[in-house]
Amino acid sequence: MSDTDFEVRVVRALRAPVPARASARQLIMDRVRQIPVAERPRRSWATYGRAVRQSLIGLAFAAGIGSITTLSAIAPTGMQSARNAGVVSGVVIGDTVVNRLRDTLRLVRLMFDDTHARQVAIAGDFNAWNGQATPLHREGGSGRWTATVAMHDGDHRYAILVDNTRRPGRLHIARTTD
Amino acid sequence: MSDQAIIDRVLAGDDEAFGQLVDSHHDRCTRIAFRILGNREDAEEAVQDAFLRAYRALASYEERERFQPWLTRILVNQCRTMRARTERRELVFSDLELHEGLIGSFEESSRDAWPDLDHALSRLPSEQREALVLRYADDMTYEEMSRVTGAGESALKMRVQRAFARLRTLLGEFANV
Repeated sequence: MSDTDFEVRVVRALRAPVPARASARQLIMDRVRQIPVAERPRRSWATYGRAVRQSLIGLAFAAGIGSITTLSAIAPTGMQSARNAGVVSGVVIGDTVVNRLRDTLRLVRLMFDDTHARQVAIAGDFNAWNGQATPLHREGGSGRWTATVAMHDGDHRYAILVDNTRRPGRLHIARTTD
Repeated sequence: MSDQAIIDRVLAGDDEAFGQLVDSHHDRCTRIAFRILGNREDAEEAVQDAFLRAYRALASYEERERFQPWLTRILVNQCRTMRARTERRELVFSDLELHEGLIGSFEESSRDAWPDLDHALSRLPSEQREALVLRYADDMTYEEMSRVTGAGESALKMRVQRAFARLRTLLGEFANV
C-alpha cells in the first residue's frame, strides 16, 4: 500500500462515526437542569452600555428599515392596543416595510411598569433571545420603562430581565383596524 | 439557528436551548473523544463534562471566537484530564488486562473495518495521537489546532507526520503477528 493510500485509509477510519448511547444527550441536559439557578450562565449587565447604543440603530440597519424617526408621525393614526396577560404591554405605533426581506413589520412600543427596577431589558423570539439587544429605558422619573421594537404580527414569547431576574411572558401583536 | 443565536437565548434565560447546541456538536465531540481516549466510557464522560463546563462558562464566551473551536478546546482539556487518570489506572492493572480491555471496547464501539488502527492509535504518544485526531477526525486547520492545543503549527505538522509513520510501523507489526 502506498503512503498516500495508507493515509487515505487512516483518515477515512478516523472520520468514521462513533455511535453514542441514545441517552447520552439526555444525560447532559439532565445535568444542566440540576445546576442551581444562581450558578447558571446569564448575560452580564456590565455589557449593557454597548447594547444600549447599538440596539435600535442595529435593528434598523439589520432589518433594512427605512427610518425609525418617522415613528412620531405615524403613531397617532396607527396606534392600536395589544396588551397581553403578563407584565409587558405593547402598542403598535406604525408599520415599516423591510425592503430586504420584502416584509412588513409592526413597530411596537413595549411598556413595563416597575418603580424599583434599576435595569430592564427584554429578550424574546423577536430579537433572537438576545438579552443585550433590547434594553428598556425609564421615562423621566416615573416607574415606566419603554422600548421600541419591530416584530411580526402574532404571538411572541419573551422574558423580561429586571435586575438579574427574569419573568417569562407572551405578547400578542396585531393591528385590529386599518 | 446559529450557535451564537442559541447562546444568546441561553444567556437570556432559555436554558433548554442549550440542548440544540448539544444536538449539533455531540456526534463530533464523541468521535474526537473516542479517537483520543480509545475507550467508550471515558469518551462519554469526557464529552459530558466538556458540555457541562461549556454551559457554565457560556457567560464568559467571547462572540469574536467561533463556538466550535471553543468547545473543542474544552473537550481536549477534558480528554487530557481523563487520559492522566487512565495512565494512573494503567499503573494498577497489568499490560495484559489493559490490552484486552481496550480491544474489547474498540470491537464494541467502532464500526469501521480496521480495529487494528484503534489499537495502533492507543500506542501512539499522546501528543501525536491528539494532533492526528484533531487534524483528520475533526478536519481542523493547523491554525485552529494551534489555538486549541497551545502548540505551534510547525510542531503540530511534525506530530501528524510522525504519527503516520509510527502507525504504519505498528500496523505492519500487527499484520506480521
